Amino acid sequence: MDFDTQIKLVVYRQFAKTGQRPSTESVAARVGSDVESVLDAYLRLRSQRVLSLEADGSSIRMAPPFSGVPTQHAVIVDGTQYFANCAWDAVAIPAALHRSGIVYSRCEQSGEPLHLGVGLEGPEPSTWIFHCLVPAAKWWDDIVFT
Amino acid sequence: MLFFRSEEQVRDWCAAYDQPLRPLVTLDQLWGLATTWYSTRLQEDSRRPKPDEMREIFAGLGLEGDFWDPTSDSFG
Repeated sequence: MDFDTQIKLVVYRQFAKTGQRPSTESVAARVGSDVESVLDAYLRLRSQRVLSLEADGSSIRMAPPFSGVPTQHAVIVDGTQYFANCAWDAVAIPAALHRSGIVYSRCEQSGEPLHLGVGLEGPEPSTWIFHCLVPAAKWWDDIVFT
Repeated sequence: MLFFRSEEQVRDWCAAYDQPLRPLVTLDQLWGLATTWYSTRLQEDSRRPKPDEMREIFAGLGLEGDFWDPTSDSFG
């Protein structure tokens, strides 16, 4: 397995196990490398659009569908709390984990809470709607805004 | 990428923030997006779909048009 794939898997599996982003130091330790090499790999993974960093250039902001910081989209799976980057990612966390979960979010206009059960075959029947403001061609121009 | 209780709430939100109304997506369609994008994300050989694959995924879910075209230049 190549180095970047090792880094990606360490990051994603840390999110999956704990709901939290790993530190750069812990990732380096897990792969037996140094922080500088990990940060270089982060940049390559960013170009593949599987990772997004904070402005400090080292903290993981997103490993989609997981968020490295708290958001309005929380997901509980097997007692672990995860944060999602957006509505799409909220539903995607149970899909990525292949586990049932509950999405806690809200209607962006009214503030009405959303508690949505998501099973292995999809969300429970619901008339809620997903709306994406940014066209697909522009999603990664500013992925945090998207 | 946000949740709304109804189409009316989407329209009110767009009007309040002077934003364009985009295609509305049902939760069943959203589940299709979630699984096609992320069901293998924790695996070694996972990757983000390429543009042609994205178009195919969107079309398979009934999401078509320039808005869903990952290479469209219709939006500046």
